[in-house]
Amino acid sequence: MRLAGDSEVSTLETPIGPATGRPPFLSQLHEWVTTVDHKKLGSMYVVCGIIYMIIAGLEASMMRWQLAWPGQTVLTPEEFNRLFTMHGTTMVFFVGMPILLGSANIMIPLMIGARDLAFPRLNAFGFWLFLFGSILLYFSYFGGQGLYGMGSAPDVGWFAYAPLTERTYSRGHSTDYWILGIFVAGIGSTATGINFIATILGMRCRGMTLMKMPLFVWIMLVDAILIVIALPPLAAAQIMLLFDRLLGAHFFDAQAGGSALLWQNLFWFFGHPEVYILILPAFAYVTEIIPVFSRKVIFGYPLMVAATVAIGFISLGVWVHHMFSVGLSPLINAIFMASTMLVGVPTGIKMFNWTATMIGGKIRFDTPMLFSIGFLCQFLMGGLTGIFLATVPFDWQVSDSYFVVGHFHYVLFGGLIFGILAATFYWYPKVTGRMMSETLGKWQFWLLIIGFNMTFGAMHVSGLLGMPRRIYTYQTERGWDLWNLLTSIGVIFQIAAFTLFAINLLHSAFKGRRAGDDPWDAWTLEWSTTSPPPAHNFDEDPVVYSRRPLWDLKHPEDPDWKYE
Amino acid sequence: MTEPTHTKNIREIELPQPTASPMVTAFGFTLMVAGIVTNWIVAIVGCVIMFVGIVKWFGQSNPESKEMPAVPAPKPTPIVPRVDGVAHLISDSGHRARLPLAIHPYSAGIVGGLLGGVVMALVAVGWSLAMHGSLWYTVNLLAGCMLSDFAEQTTEQLYAFQTAGIIVGVMIQLVMSVSVGLLYGVVMPLLPRLHLLFAAILIPLMWSGLTWASISVINPALSEHINWLWFVISQISFGIVTGWWIIRSEKVSTMQNWHYLERMGIDSPGVRKMGEAE
Repeated sequence: MRLAGDSEVSTLETPIGPATGRPPFLSQLHEWVTTVDHKKLGSMYVVCGIIYMIIAGLEASMMRWQLAWPGQTVLTPEEFNRLFTMHGTTMVFFVGMPILLGSANIMIPLMIGARDLAFPRLNAFGFWLFLFGSILLYFSYFGGQGLYGMGSAPDVGWFAYAPLTERTYSRGHSTDYWILGIFVAGIGSTATGINFIATILGMRCRGMTLMKMPLFVWIMLVDAILIVIALPPLAAAQIMLLFDRLLGAHFFDAQAGGSALLWQNLFWFFGHPEVYILILPAFAYVTEIIPVFSRKVIFGYPLMVAATVAIGFISLGVWVHHMFSVGLSPLINAIFMASTMLVGVPTGIKMFNWTATMIGGKIRFDTPMLFSIGFLCQFLMGGLTGIFLATVPFDWQVSDSYFVVGHFHYVLFGGLIFGILAATFYWYPKVTGRMMSETLGKWQFWLLIIGFNMTFGAMHVSGLLGMPRRIYTYQTERGWDLWNLLTSIGVIFQIAAFTLFAINLLHSAFKGRRAGDDPWDAWTLEWSTTSPPPAHNFDEDPVVYSRRPLWDLKHPEDPDWKYE
Repeated sequence: MTEPTHTKNIREIELPQPTASPMVTAFGFTLMVAGIVTNWIVAIVGCVIMFVGIVKWFGQSNPESKEMPAVPAPKPTPIVPRVDGVAHLISDSGHRARLPLAIHPYSAGIVGGLLGGVVMALVAVGWSLAMHGSLWYTVNLLAGCMLSDFAEQTTEQLYAFQTAGIIVGVMIQLVMSVSVGLLYGVVMPLLPRLHLLFAAILIPLMWSGLTWASISVINPALSEHINWLWFVISQISFGIVTGWWIIRSEKVSTMQNWHYLERMGIDSPGVRKMGEAE
């Protein structure tokens, strides 16, 4: 760590100036394809995630166009089935996962004072598996017809329930592409998860004990452990399904002695931890952003660590709440209802700690903070409807209705996507060296708040009025017209918001104001190096004495290590 | 703890060489898998590519030859100590940042709830007698919360004495009064100020609003016959009596300001006994 006046300590040679010129395009391409640098790989993850977010958003928009009014014929039922399958699969596996892996890729080594991840080549392997897996899935639009001349993209929902996925009901190869694409990407994610664990446990800089790690890193450690635990069962289930489909096995074929419920158990044993795998990084982002923009240290660090570990642990034991309506015994339902409600306790602790961090602080309402506050409000609403749904009788009433769709979009869009947007505005200057436009960011925030709540708030009402999910149209006398129209109008606001976001990203990359090394006056190690950081991250190995090493350097008269 | 100091300079920073091996291996693996749904030739080609990637990767894993020196880069801006100082949050003793040190006894809530329930019942029955000439009308309406067939009774039937109605109505009144009274007893010490205003006006109004919104589902009979003015008056009468009874009770101290060892009941020299004054 360098202090003021410490000007000639680097052993590195003269910096490259702008006069060195830009290498030719092919050289640049080669550099990116062969890179093992965690920052470049992380950036590629994030860029791919954003591209897939645009694709998934377009898929959702088409569905909302179809459902805006009753009796529309914009899409056929088959096309509608493919769209909701691809939208869900893309958002979970090819938007949420790469952005979380990408952000962790970029930030973990910088935050713990390391030069790279523990296994840089494995890191590159993980990224390429993710990318090729996602391309394999989308190739189904062209190759899904297979030998039978049937099917196109997968149309079995993102959870691919048996026996719908069996050969009898899903001809052609579309479901096989779903299996294989996610299988390949899943191997990459698992490899990256192992890499994160090894890096965090083995490569922290001097002085950074576990209880001095930034909470971002703590949360990513728990997240990586969840990835390593949860993804292999999915891979196993997918191989079993592939055996059913291609080799005549009967794991999930109830008529031949298999069990359709087995698939649900295996899938949701992955699927519910997956929800936490996706939302925990959003917790990580806002946990870093809220203290910086409140100008206060995070409230209750040890309890935040404990809550993160507790969430990780409990999340492995709640999967049956996705199966309340399949007819399990009351005892099993009661146990999983209790465990599901239990997860609200550590999550509630986090909500209180974020709020307590803001209380008494000098809050700066810059765009990252706005999105963080948006996250808090909307995730809270998603969490509360989650408690409703954890209650078995209520779940029976609204299972597979639009209420559930509204609920999980409040969690995964209101939570995860708002967290991602907060993180993008916060760390974009570090990654690119330029600031994003605050004006465009604020316009985007308010448009998205309006559009998001209009779309997904109205879904709760149409769900309570009995509208089932996954239907491609409805009759006018059902009373769902107004709510569906509101839902679809909200999408227009969201499209406007994300258009501004795209403009902001691209424009700021070239024309944005120079950020400097530490534009937010923040406290973790990544802000002590240049923006963008050099390939080796730090000229010197940092040494830390508290959870906020930059605070200690900026305020030597009152450093944190005196209190911790 | 010592002051933060400089670290030693890193004389030679080495980073892993860029390599296409991971990408080639991943591509080969994906092709191999894609062969399952396309053609076996694709799988074989994928297998070969993956093998080539793995061999190259293993070759590069030799740590002696495949590290490269770091590329020189601009230095970060030195971190300068601030001169504006640090503002500390001052703990304000008037701020309710902790649980109450003293609370009303739970018995005050139970007794207050019972008293409030009696007064509320008197107001409601008085309205029933004055407006409808029947002692039992409000009792039967209340019983309709649990006796679903009361929803289909005529007004004349609701005016009449019914054993089931009186038993169920009194039970509901009793249980609700004790429960809400207990809740008052627990909540009131947590309120910052104006306890009686909360107890007598605000909480009854909120309760009336909740009832108004949900009454058609809970009790269709009451929903059809209710007089909202008198409903609110009866709720306020409950709030006044219950709140007044609780406020006049003597508070008992909690363990909030006790030492952890005291709370655990550990008896040793230097540790006060449980509840003993300081």
